[in-house]
Amino acid sequence: MISDLFANFFRFFLLLFVQVLVLDQIEISGPVNGYFNAYLYILFLLMLPVNINRLLLLLLCFITGISIDMFTGTAGMHASACLILGLIRPGFLNLIAPREGYESTLRLTIQSMGGSTFLVYAGVLTFVHHLSLFILEAFNFLNFFDLLLRVITCSIFTMLLIVMSQVLSQRSKEVEG
Amino acid sequence: MRNFILIIRKYNFFIVFLLLQGLSMYLLINNNTYQREAVVSTSNEVVGEIYSAYSDVTDYLTLGITNRLLAEENARLRRADSTSFYDSDFKLMKVNDTIGFQQYEYITAKVINNSVTKVNNYITLDAGYNKGVRKDMSVISSNGVVGIVKDVSEHFCTVMSMLNSKTRISTMIKKNGYFGSTIWSGSSPMMANLLDIPSHAKVNVGDTIVTTSFSIYPKNIMVGRVAEIGTSGESFKEIKVRLSTDFQNISYVYIVRDILKIERDTLEARTVANDQ
Repeated sequence: MISDLFANFFRFFLLLFVQVLVLDQIEISGPVNGYFNAYLYILFLLMLPVNINRLLLLLLCFITGISIDMFTGTAGMHASACLILGLIRPGFLNLIAPREGYESTLRLTIQSMGGSTFLVYAGVLTFVHHLSLFILEAFNFLNFFDLLLRVITCSIFTMLLIVMSQVLSQRSKEVEG
Repeated sequence: MRNFILIIRKYNFFIVFLLLQGLSMYLLINNNTYQREAVVSTSNEVVGEIYSAYSDVTDYLTLGITNRLLAEENARLRRADSTSFYDSDFKLMKVNDTIGFQQYEYITAKVINNSVTKVNNYITLDAGYNKGVRKDMSVISSNGVVGIVKDVSEHFCTVMSMLNSKTRISTMIKKNGYFGSTIWSGSSPMMANLLDIPSHAKVNVGDTIVTTSFSIYPKNIMVGRVAEIGTSGESFKEIKVRLSTDFQNISYVYIVRDILKIERDTLEARTVANDQ
């Protein structure tokens, strides 16, 4: 339990630094700029324990988002998108739950959930998060299809990184073990 | 009340979400220029009327500040006006140096207490040592003379109003330069008496009365206009003056700082002392 807490703390800071120091620094010049931004930090929110208190979840969503906002100078934008993620996460987890429900010890990783379930779970939440984030960023619906395209490409990019990081962390555990 | 608490407990998740989301939106709109402008422009399209009505109200509420700013601007302009400069154009000098240097400076102040009905009336202003006000400075308004600073505290000063039995201003008739003292008549806040004008001086009703350079005021500050002319005794006229400053409706004034006053006072005091 305590190691779980520690692991989450560690993951929070690691992902925060990776996000602001690496991913946010990537700039692809040319017409595709903005279509390949990754927001890997939401992995922290995706991997929080399955039976976490819902109010605590919201609070953590807000804190995560506002921390990213502090670095990117977009006060409130990521916080708001993360809160929407936090709002639908419990309901969505229930929706895709197996018939007998989740075991309380289940870890929300690609290994313990199974590839397809995890991809659906992470994919939908990533899409929702990115959609709300980009809508907040644009703050209008003028180029909605362009925006939607960006949401899709960025979601794919983020998902790619999420799956890669999951596989990599599994590998390192196997090596250590 | 119990139902209310039950509802809150039932939907606490959603309520907390709304609260935090509201906070996020608040931060977003207040700290990001683009989103703020988007919101404002949307609001303008949707509720433009409400917005303009709102700004009408806020404009009205900031009138006080606007007034003060305008008064300050006036003081700045007055400072730059030619009457504020000491005339150093000595006619006898070969070098015709017409560049004057500042003799008077104006400090704006707001009237925060005023009376016109007593025998000795005083005005309180919201400027004191903090703004450089000192005792015996003269006070004028945009219409004319107001009084003399009698007492100064850190943030306020009291002014012996023109409407005071002790006030005596050295004035002259602007068109011909005959000078005499103007004192308050003691009854109407609009009227004063001009004394010591010789009976042979030509005076008409409506002539302008201004301060002389003997007075504590800058020269040529408007005092009032001649309203009535009579004779007292043989050698002097009795002139009634309608004051140009409306003491019953006075809100912003200028306190005049005479930069050369100390020099002048010490010189005059020394002369008197040497004489005795």
